[in-house]
Amino acid sequence: MTLLERYEEVVGHQEVQRLRQLAMPLAGRRVIHVNSTRTGGGVAEILGWMIPLMKELGLEARWEVISGPPDFSRVTKSFHNAMQGLPVSLKHSDFELHREVNRETARRLDLQADVVFVHDPQPIYIPEFTPKGRVGRWVWRCHIDASRPDRTVWKHLEGAIPHYDATIFSMAAFTRPLSRPMFLIPPSIDPLSDKNCPMTENERLETLTRLGIDPDRPLLVQVSRFDRFKDPLGVIAAYRLLKPYYPPLQLALAGGPAEDDPEGAKVLREVVEHAGDEKDIKVLMLPPDAHRTINALQRSAIIVLQKSIKEGFGLTVTEALWKGKPVIGGACGGITLQVYDYHTGFLVHSPAGAAYRVRYLLRYTDKRQRMGRTGHEFAREHFLLIRHLRDYVKMLLCLENPGTDVMVA
Amino acid sequence: MGNPEPFALFDCGLARLALGQSCSNLRELLAAVRSAPDAVLEHHMMRCVLEDHFEMHEFPNDLARWCWDSLGDRVLAEQLGLVDPYHHASIASLRANLVDVIEERLWGLDRVPWCRPGLELHLVQSRLVAYDSGERFSAPVEMAEAIPRLSLRSLFYHVHESRRRRKAPSDDFSSWLEEYEADAALVAALRAIDFYFLNLHQLRSEFIEVFRRCMPESPLVERVTP
Repeated sequence: MTLLERYEEVVGHQEVQRLRQLAMPLAGRRVIHVNSTRTGGGVAEILGWMIPLMKELGLEARWEVISGPPDFSRVTKSFHNAMQGLPVSLKHSDFELHREVNRETARRLDLQADVVFVHDPQPIYIPEFTPKGRVGRWVWRCHIDASRPDRTVWKHLEGAIPHYDATIFSMAAFTRPLSRPMFLIPPSIDPLSDKNCPMTENERLETLTRLGIDPDRPLLVQVSRFDRFKDPLGVIAAYRLLKPYYPPLQLALAGGPAEDDPEGAKVLREVVEHAGDEKDIKVLMLPPDAHRTINALQRSAIIVLQKSIKEGFGLTVTEALWKGKPVIGGACGGITLQVYDYHTGFLVHSPAGAAYRVRYLLRYTDKRQRMGRTGHEFAREHFLLIRHLRDYVKMLLCLENPGTDVMVA
Repeated sequence: MGNPEPFALFDCGLARLALGQSCSNLRELLAAVRSAPDAVLEHHMMRCVLEDHFEMHEFPNDLARWCWDSLGDRVLAEQLGLVDPYHHASIASLRANLVDVIEERLWGLDRVPWCRPGLELHLVQSRLVAYDSGERFSAPVEMAEAIPRLSLRSLFYHVHESRRRRKAPSDDFSSWLEEYEADAALVAALRAIDFYFLNLHQLRSEFIEVFRRCMPESPLVERVTP
């Protein structure tokens, strides 16, 4: 069974068939993706499935990686933080190092292709150092919210944009005016991955038992890094407002270590202190590969919370919707594109708001279940990787057919 | 009975592009409506239907929704919800109508309505990518049978986009049926559907209902369930 055939079982034969038809004019196109790592992180995860699926669609897809000295990682990590508006301290020599590693990578890599996708800031200067004529079109794929970047870093990165034919952002709110077309392609989840695949009841129950959670009592879950922007203390406050009305209620706050965030450990300590010795609040620090544990927690939740006060796209919301759970989410970032009041959950603005909406959903089982079903269908239609791949195919067709609308022959 | 070429079923999708511009108050919305490229108005007034599959939205276009949800200007939202872009012969005419409605509203207000940070209207335009699905219908009964399993994107292409392509108030389905010399009542009933105020799921249900009503004798139509 091919990979695409496996996804037919999830999205239907017609959807996959239509994707094949749409991609037919692109057969044989040489496509290269360049990013900064083959393992770890969201981009590597996306390329892990995208390369084989693009190949199944008839494209000649390859994946290349930029690499540099240890200092290069420090500099590009700072770029990443600066893109999201955090203050960073960089010297002129850091910017020079960035360009130098890009120059060296352009020399080292064999970049003969019809289209090269360059992911994020690390390899952004490669086009400038690649001999003209080797690459048909360059596309910069920005996975980061670039709407309010640090000015100095942005000026440095913006200098690379004129070498591109187009750019891609996850959502319109992440963009800023650029001199090149900005395609919008939201991220997606893989319904067959460990984090999202169907799970046996046995495995789910075993996981809960291992974590000390009572499978017979209702559970609220928030999965996210221990980060102030995810408002874990607000979640605990909401839970405490609810507990007198629903004594059996349990809360699990599950997250991984926030590597890029020096404040992560401090926030985790605060959360643990705040939870105190309340046995029905579980603060779970999970390893980065605890995908099946997260899957089991999300499937066990009666309602999933994502009470962020600042958020990127919010794929944990997508994961919960896919598992048929209504989501109560902070009204920010990509959560507003996924949570619709009374349809897939509720947007809230305070711990009191979260508590109020949980009370509502606990009271009305039928509405909770209906929202769960709607959320599952919504995720299927908009946020699975087949849609993600279709967006890439449409964008490639648009690049090959400049003008207005495209009629594929 | 006429003898037209078989009906060719198309599918489509949007490639969406950001402008990197947003509106955070009513004055900025007016400026955007005045000056944004035609493709932006086309997207926010017509093509946005492809993004609403669950009756999540109160109004059929992004501008009305944003005024309702984010600006809290319910009067203007109601007025914009009633602007039907398919009743305009051109985007220029639609633009003039929108400018008139928004300007009139702004004129009578003491304060300019604004939205909280994070709820801005981000301007987007789109390019339609259409392709032949390879499926053909040679008779009305085949069309009736296919409607329940059409992708919503195909429905959009043959109903909404058809008006734009043909520059006429007719969808591809009824035009083909007319050419086929099918029952005139069927053609008229399909054309009478108020498609702009329906989401695509609702629209498909209305199509199914019309075929069921107008072709009750067909055994194939009996198999069509909404």
